[in-house]
Amino acid sequence: MKKIFVLIIPFILLFSGCTKDITDFNEETKRAAVVPQAPLFTNSVKSLSDGLASASVNVNIFRHFVKHWGQAVIQEATQYDYITRAVHENWWSRMYKDVLNDLQESALIISEDATLSPAQKANQMAMVDIMQVYTYDILIKTFGDIPYSEALDPNNLFPVYDDAQTVYNDLMSRLDQDISNLNPSAAGFSSTEDIIYQGDVSKWIAFANSLKLRMAMTVADVDNGAASSAFEQANSDAINTEEENAFIQYYNSPPNNNPLYDQLVLANRTDYIAAKDLIDPLIQLNDPRLPGYFGLNDEGEYVGGVVGQASNYPGMSKPSARIAAPDAPNVLIDLVEVEFLRAEAIERGYDIPGTAEEHYNNAITNSILAWGGTDEQAEAYLNQPEIAYSTAQGDWKQKIGVQKWIALYNRPFEAWTEMRRLDHPQLPLVENAISGFPNRLRYPGNEQQLNNANYINAASNIGGDETETKLFWDIF
Amino acid sequence: MQKKIILLIILGFFQISTIIAQERTITGQVTSAADGMTLPGVNVLVKGTNIGAVTGMDGNYSVQASENATLVFSSLGFATIEVGVAGQTVINLTMEEDLESLSEVVVTAFGIQRKKNILPYAAQQISGDDVNQTKVGNVASGLSGKISGLQITQGNAIGGSVNVVIRGAKSLTGNNQALFVVDGVPVDNSNTNSTSQQRGAGGYDYGNAAADIDPNNIESINVLKGAAASALYGSRAANGVVMITTKKAKKGLNISVNSALIIGNIDKSTFVEYQKDYGAGRSSPYGRDGFLLFDVNGDSEDDLVVPTFAPRSWGPRYDPNLLVYHWDAFDSSSPNYLQPKPWVYPKNGPETFYETSVSSNHSILIDGLVGDKGAVKFGYTRNDERGTVPNSRVLKNIFSLTASYKLLSNLTLGAMGNYSQIDGKGRYGTGYDSGRNVNSTFRHFNQTNVDIQEQKDAYFRTRRNITWNWADPTTPEGIRPAFSNNAYWTIYENYQDDKRNRVFGNIYLNYKVTEWLELLGRISVDNYNEFQQERVAVGSSGIPAYSRFDRSYNETNYDLLATVKKELSEDFDFNALAGINIRRNTITSVFSSTSGGLIVPNLYSISNSVGTVPAPIENYQPKAVDGYFGGVTLTYRDFLTLDGTIRRDISSTLPSDNNAYNYYALSGSWLFSHHLEDLEWISSGKIRANYATVGNDAPWGSLKDVYDKPNPFGSGLLFSLPDTKNNSDLKPEMTESREIGLEMAFFKNRLGFDASYYHTNTVDQIIPVAASLATGYSSKFVNAGDIENKGIELSLFGSPVRTPDFSWNVNVNFSRNRNKVLSLFENSTNLRLASFQGGVSLNASVGRPYGEIQGATYEYLNGERVVKENGLWQVSSTTSNIIGNINPDWIGGVSNTFRYKDLSLSFLIDVRKGGDLFSLDMYYGSAAGLYPRTVGLNELGNPVRDAVADGGGIILPGVTADGSPNDKRVTITSNNSFYEPQSEFVYDASYVKLRELSLSYSLPEKLTPKYFKAIDLSLIGRNLWIIHKNVPYADPEENLSSGNIQGYQSGSYPTTRTIGLNVNIKI
Repeated sequence: MKKIFVLIIPFILLFSGCTKDITDFNEETKRAAVVPQAPLFTNSVKSLSDGLASASVNVNIFRHFVKHWGQAVIQEATQYDYITRAVHENWWSRMYKDVLNDLQESALIISEDATLSPAQKANQMAMVDIMQVYTYDILIKTFGDIPYSEALDPNNLFPVYDDAQTVYNDLMSRLDQDISNLNPSAAGFSSTEDIIYQGDVSKWIAFANSLKLRMAMTVADVDNGAASSAFEQANSDAINTEEENAFIQYYNSPPNNNPLYDQLVLANRTDYIAAKDLIDPLIQLNDPRLPGYFGLNDEGEYVGGVVGQASNYPGMSKPSARIAAPDAPNVLIDLVEVEFLRAEAIERGYDIPGTAEEHYNNAITNSILAWGGTDEQAEAYLNQPEIAYSTAQGDWKQKIGVQKWIALYNRPFEAWTEMRRLDHPQLPLVENAISGFPNRLRYPGNEQQLNNANYINAASNIGGDETETKLFWDIF
Repeated sequence: MQKKIILLIILGFFQISTIIAQERTITGQVTSAADGMTLPGVNVLVKGTNIGAVTGMDGNYSVQASENATLVFSSLGFATIEVGVAGQTVINLTMEEDLESLSEVVVTAFGIQRKKNILPYAAQQISGDDVNQTKVGNVASGLSGKISGLQITQGNAIGGSVNVVIRGAKSLTGNNQALFVVDGVPVDNSNTNSTSQQRGAGGYDYGNAAADIDPNNIESINVLKGAAASALYGSRAANGVVMITTKKAKKGLNISVNSALIIGNIDKSTFVEYQKDYGAGRSSPYGRDGFLLFDVNGDSEDDLVVPTFAPRSWGPRYDPNLLVYHWDAFDSSSPNYLQPKPWVYPKNGPETFYETSVSSNHSILIDGLVGDKGAVKFGYTRNDERGTVPNSRVLKNIFSLTASYKLLSNLTLGAMGNYSQIDGKGRYGTGYDSGRNVNSTFRHFNQTNVDIQEQKDAYFRTRRNITWNWADPTTPEGIRPAFSNNAYWTIYENYQDDKRNRVFGNIYLNYKVTEWLELLGRISVDNYNEFQQERVAVGSSGIPAYSRFDRSYNETNYDLLATVKKELSEDFDFNALAGINIRRNTITSVFSSTSGGLIVPNLYSISNSVGTVPAPIENYQPKAVDGYFGGVTLTYRDFLTLDGTIRRDISSTLPSDNNAYNYYALSGSWLFSHHLEDLEWISSGKIRANYATVGNDAPWGSLKDVYDKPNPFGSGLLFSLPDTKNNSDLKPEMTESREIGLEMAFFKNRLGFDASYYHTNTVDQIIPVAASLATGYSSKFVNAGDIENKGIELSLFGSPVRTPDFSWNVNVNFSRNRNKVLSLFENSTNLRLASFQGGVSLNASVGRPYGEIQGATYEYLNGERVVKENGLWQVSSTTSNIIGNINPDWIGGVSNTFRYKDLSLSFLIDVRKGGDLFSLDMYYGSAAGLYPRTVGLNELGNPVRDAVADGGGIILPGVTADGSPNDKRVTITSNNSFYEPQSEFVYDASYVKLRELSLSYSLPEKLTPKYFKAIDLSLIGRNLWIIHKNVPYADPEENLSSGNIQGYQSGSYPTTRTIGLNVNIKI
């Protein structure tokens, strides 16, 4: 009898053992709650670069917009259907959630870091801010009005949209502030943290000034005065040698390879082909960049497909092995782009050294060299009357536009922007297009669903949330 | 047994009040008609008096009655019998089991048995045999159509998860699954399916953990539908409780052996049917007539070659006179190497991919009483389920042992243990994932000219990925897959496998302190480990990969419960309980995968990664909830009952200064038939009403912010903010429910119904509310939202015919739920539950039902669809148009059982009316030119695929922008194959199914061999016939996973019809 009551003891013990405080059960023990600033900065730069480099049909389909590439089989992206796979939403999400939010968090941690010297702190803050400006520039050129003043605030889940031009002006002044805050004699991020310039602050100054040139030129058609003064201020400190080019060097080994390697090689996707619109002029003008851009088809020829229409995959040229390499770099801004901007600036009458032709030749030569060509090839190429600045067809917009479009191969977002801005080359609409030429992407579907009141305002302010709506800087 | 003892106690006082004042003593013995055993606890009442007796353990009774009195014999679970005394002094009789009245005693929270006719809330009980008649692998799927208010949704994958929702979705983003409890042990029923798997982005459906419950070992299942019924189980019971009581040990040594062999075949009405006019390719010409043109056989003349790389069927029209080089002409192992074949629709379409499956289910159950103090039961079940997809198998071995021992007359020690092993291999890949789901090829992008049996031969000939989808047949390097693998390669090389070992059980001590006080101490454990491996073999389309997922779940519950049962006076019965429940559970998991490919083919280990191995994703999530509860039941004269419960929970997932919450329930019932005893045709009638609240805590880890850690970039470290912003100011959420019900039975319980109306609101929900992505987050945890569910449930039962030889029983269940999202966070009007491939999303919008499909639709002008200048539809530029609602209008089931002597036939018709789904299969399959809807003749009698110039094409019925009728003719080609908006591919998911059929024969006693108690043979069938449906080429019920994301089909599997033979032997 007594023996049996002993059985009750374990039960009592068990209950008495379970009454401690339970709050710490909810502690996360596998993820960090406190981190240093640099990994957030590095991560956001990589996310940005991955998005710009990618050819995923879910992320970046601008190569088809600009008719650099077609697709042999699947025609959604080439016919401008970016809704079915929510490319617009993924692009927006990448820029805000994967890039800007981590940049902002990084800035917050830097500002609270008492161990940093004031000069290094200023440098880091400036670099973080430059990348934010770079990213907002992409968003504005993709959508138009965007959330800005109320963006990146988790206490305001439904931010208003701000007028794109107002935001752009603010971005320009932020960039000016960043440039003046950069101090090349102090440290910035370390060589492993800064995956663009490996810690070289002086190159960041060139990068920021080059971005300023890009942004100044963006508003040239709507505010030429502001554009010219900003351009003239930044010109001499912008990129002047290819050593100052801003690019992300990917690695040979997954998962740190260039995303194109996943899409072109690893996934074995047999769809991407050269667009006839690009490859034909390259062939015709004996462009030395051709083998760098595309491979040969099965019969040893260069052949491009019609964008928007199914093609005979075997008979088509594919993107080259060079860009499909796992360690292919991805350029954020380079001398080629800057030289084209300078050529254009002179045509617009801005007071900077050189002639339009010099900068134009310089841009093309640098592009050819960057794609594995030689100086002789560049010279021969430039000597052709169709290419030579004095004899090439059309006004300066056309001359620069066509050559910039060729040179911005594998820089799909910039190529799309410059095609819209320079209005050249004027390519026919893709076959079976479901809309007019995309002058922008529509706002994401979840903005329509979630942030509806602000969305409706923004849509009406920009002149309708349509693919064809022209953005404020794109007036011609 | 226990039931009968409780009955004895309940009925005891009748005996006390018996006045011995009659002339004659009548004695006799009552036995059961079913097995001839004596029946204790039968109530014997002299009609028109309150004089009566109760049979003893030996079934004997003795009662005083007058010569011409009538005796009424009644016992729970048996049909009541009236016998005239007519001068007899000995009346022996046998009683027939009455299945309907079996449910008169129900098992409620904490295993407390209560009389159903005074229970003040909705509960519906069915027997274990009802669930397992057709040998289901998963208990939950056996419930379909049998319980009102319970919605079961299940896919066709073997071992797939089953969605169990009672009375509608109450949480916007949280768990809406019913809680499973086995003999008092809460059994985890989660699934490990990722969000991307659930929204159709690919992966496997690993099933839900309720599949570990052995259906052969179930005595009864009681479904507690509302919050009032389940407040005592705490927050998790807010979604209702499926209470499972396992079989009890019976007197003597009993052995029951059951063996079933089950054959499965696909229901072809749920699978693709291709157009048979055109083969591979795109509309635009590749070489000549849509074929590639190059010299294959070396005769210096160009040959016609199938454009193998284009997984579309917009190519050339079939023509048996045309000789064409197919994929096999480039397979050097093929007898057809470098040979052309006629251009015809193949003999063996993809439907021949599915095999006849042979599954088996064997079980043994041994039980008995040991002396008069102990009871033991041992069970073993082996369920070997094979799918109709080759190389698929889910093998379950389940062992159980239950024992109890009376240490003292008032002290019982007991334990229950259940051990299960589940081995899965070749589970079906799901969603848009051609590397793993063969239907992603069969239904989305395919070439109709491919003969699947030739593909099969090619794979088995070489064990290589000889696909029809060569990337480039013109070069040797192009002889590799473009998009799709050989389907056999996919299932034999890219297969997954998994294991789950699980122990759940309890140990308890029950101490009956006094006549009116009982104490129960119990420890319950549910513990499982699972291990999942997934592969993409070298040679497949896509990046070769290997991943493993290790997860363990542990839950321990400590319960201390005191129950009081006291008769306060002759009129009042008092029951009360008070208890403590301490719950501790922990989920740990590690996921690891290769990157960049596999170095050595066929070696599946993390170290075989080509690229740097990404850091594993680890989770360690412990949780604690301490609950204190109490309840009181007051019964007046056995017809008025008032119930009250209260509970306080303290949960570790809430902020420490706001982690306790209280909730309560109040219920009442009135057995009004008590006052209507004169109306003989009314057997019973009860009205019940209740009001209840249930609090709930936050999901684990939703308070404090932490960082994600992506793989380092070279030597550069990366950190990133997560997608969801946490919130340290969360407070408990609350569900409030009201319910009224009416239960009536007529004509000696031969006809009856149980009807309920309920109304629930879940407020202050803890949800990761979707944020504009411009915040830098996709969502943030907040307290917000109010969702309302209102509905009616109706269960009807009847026995239209009941004679000794022939009986007919009918059960009907009907449920109708309407839900509405009343508010979301702040001014937001829409919460996206999931976004799917194909440009559609599943949403909760304010003022709308929970679970609406949004996407692009047609543009309309004066009610007519607008056609653009190019002759194609004008599609809306917005994707936030409501194009479907996934909620059914109602669901129901009708089961019939006919018994003629030893033969019995039963069948269940399962019905779902209304509710929509979006079919990516139809959207993509149409764009690929696979279905008959992409071919045909126009009104001129010419093929719609012919050029307009040749009289082909169609004029889409609609108006142009100016309102005039469209007269622009367009050819339907691959280039405009996406011309229809998403709304076109939303279908009504109604169905009427012959879900179960069973024909049983019980060997009559004279044919039963000696030493055998009973032998039953049955022919069983499941999913035999879809009597009605509206979704083309698919099962409207097919889904991807259990959970809140429903109403979307991608790569759906055909229904498996199963027919089996079952033998049950009782010794």
